[in-house]
Amino acid sequence: MITDSPRENAILMEIRFHGRGGQGAVTGVRLLSTALYYEGKYTLGIPMYGTERRGAPVQSFLRISEDRIYERDLVHEPDMVVVLDPLLAKTVPVTQGLKKGGLVLVNHPHSGLETGIGGPFKVATVDATKVAMETIGRPITNTAILGAFAKVTGMVKLSNLEEAAHHQWSGRIGEMNIKAMQKAYEVATPSVDVSNVKMEDVQLEKRARKAGERDVSSWRLFRPVFNDAKCIGCRRCYILCPEVAIGMKNNKATVNYQYCKGCGICNEECPTKAIDWIQETI
Amino acid sequence: MPQKFEVMVGNKAVAHAVRLARAKFISAFPITPQTTIVQYIADMVANGEIDAEYVTVEGELTAQASAFTAEAAGVRAFTATAGPGLLYMHHPMIATRNNRIPLVMAVMHRGIKGMDPDQTDMMAQRETGWMMMECESGQEILDTGLMAYKIAEDERVRLPILFAGDGYILSYTDEPINIPDEAMVDAFLPPYKTTIPLLPNQGQENRDFQMKQYSTDLDPQATFVEDQQAMENAKKVIKEVNAEFKKMFGRGYGNGLIEEYKTKNCEAVIVASGTIASTARVAIDKLQAEDKNVGLVRLKTFKPFPAEDFALIGSKVNVMGIIDRNISIGSGGWTFGEIRNSMYEVEERPKTLQFHAGLSGKEVRVQDLIKIGEKTLKAASGVKVSPLVEWV
Repeated sequence: MITDSPRENAILMEIRFHGRGGQGAVTGVRLLSTALYYEGKYTLGIPMYGTERRGAPVQSFLRISEDRIYERDLVHEPDMVVVLDPLLAKTVPVTQGLKKGGLVLVNHPHSGLETGIGGPFKVATVDATKVAMETIGRPITNTAILGAFAKVTGMVKLSNLEEAAHHQWSGRIGEMNIKAMQKAYEVATPSVDVSNVKMEDVQLEKRARKAGERDVSSWRLFRPVFNDAKCIGCRRCYILCPEVAIGMKNNKATVNYQYCKGCGICNEECPTKAIDWIQETI
Repeated sequence: MPQKFEVMVGNKAVAHAVRLARAKFISAFPITPQTTIVQYIADMVANGEIDAEYVTVEGELTAQASAFTAEAAGVRAFTATAGPGLLYMHHPMIATRNNRIPLVMAVMHRGIKGMDPDQTDMMAQRETGWMMMECESGQEILDTGLMAYKIAEDERVRLPILFAGDGYILSYTDEPINIPDEAMVDAFLPPYKTTIPLLPNQGQENRDFQMKQYSTDLDPQATFVEDQQAMENAKKVIKEVNAEFKKMFGRGYGNGLIEEYKTKNCEAVIVASGTIASTARVAIDKLQAEDKNVGLVRLKTFKPFPAEDFALIGSKVNVMGIIDRNISIGSGGWTFGEIRNSMYEVEERPKTLQFHAGLSGKEVRVQDLIKIGEKTLKAASGVKVSPLVEWV
């Protein structure tokens, strides 16, 4: 029962979501909020907005309680961290502030011992990118990670997540996302203790101060590989690339991988399918 | 009756308030963090949930001017803006008040310096003569939106009103919000009927009103006297509407002007508004659990300023720690000045401490508010504290 009276119960759980612009960290938090509300919980889903663009590291937060929540600040010491991108942990300190014994759920193809995340925590994994590519056809991993969340934490029933997805999207998009949740629920690996794993060094992204310093190569899940034999020099990719990563040499497209964030617009737009879309190895 | 809840953001709560109030005219111009308000309303208009004229205008000046004329013509109108958009509205906002048009507007705070929220955008409109209410949760935004129409349209008031929330912190935060029943809202807020229609063929009243506004025969100051009286009346009306809302929907916000939280037997109180007040409740809980007797006074209505309420509180406490998410460069915080002004006639005035917090979106954490509470309490015990003006 939600009332206006001062609450009796403290916060049950605080979660921080790490993702990239376009992976749906914000929508994911809303879906989870809605599903938890169906479970009778009170939630506060806090997105962090800035001037993010597609691919940039983003965060959002979720507070869960039995009663109305008054804390309007951000979450600094989460009980759980959810990472929507397999490469994000290399450039963002995802375990910062995480409570001892806290849980990390990370989108990663390998087991919890092989993610490079170590310390007094538990790590569970799910290959959400693979699930999303199979069910949605794009590396939008929010709904897949929620399916894994349901299995790993047991805090929310899959059926409630499905209902929340129906509430968010109608028709085909809702169905695809529900499939992603179900599939991820099946394939998620349970959490393992990583106290003995050494935390890999986090290479913080430097903010580019002048032209040429900008490096967004770590944002990429897929890389474009140009096939010169098929390229007709139409310059469509050259014009449309949002990161100005594509140049022209001898009337053939070339790519500067330092500037390429792997958004896939070139691949989508190429009229002769001269681009191979290769997944980066993790 | 089973209550209908939905997990939604504050901006959607505003859209639901507009839908439930059955606004007939919406002028929309987007500006972050208000954009999704007009976006949700556009969806609702397209889906047939709102039967309204939805006008996309070319800027905030027109957004205000068109909503004002629609309301003057006799329909319930709505517009929304934020930060720089609100500054651009300044001139037509004064015209709206001059003509005593009971327009309702939502403001999602956005700072003047950057994108992040503080109250300086609203502070810049202090002298426009609009009523101003500040919200601390998504639910309160929805409820205040409904109350705002009833307050503004009251014949004793007939002044425009804006209700505000912190951008991002409320506008984009998801939380379960109760959507009141349509029939109950209709009973609470009957259809709007203007008593001074704009169109000349609609009666003598309008011409009389216009004559009064612009006639040179009368005392030029006469309308200011009336507007000031209307603002004074508004204090009573806000209390009445808040009480009626609480009776019908089970939710009230203090007395409509201010809300006291755990102030019983407290010699020291902190004063806050908006989302800072929400977080401050947690700080107060924690302080009082350690027998540190600090209470919270939440300021809900900035205009008309609840001077009488603060005079009453001032006669009971020793120290007030006043938190302002705003500053008038050169003179200090908005509420700090107003509260001190309110308490001048009190025999034994309390000491006051000024805190500036959360400007340009700086995060205000529970621990910051605990420190503010502790400093206020220290001052109450007679210890000299410094500085008297602190940036948190």
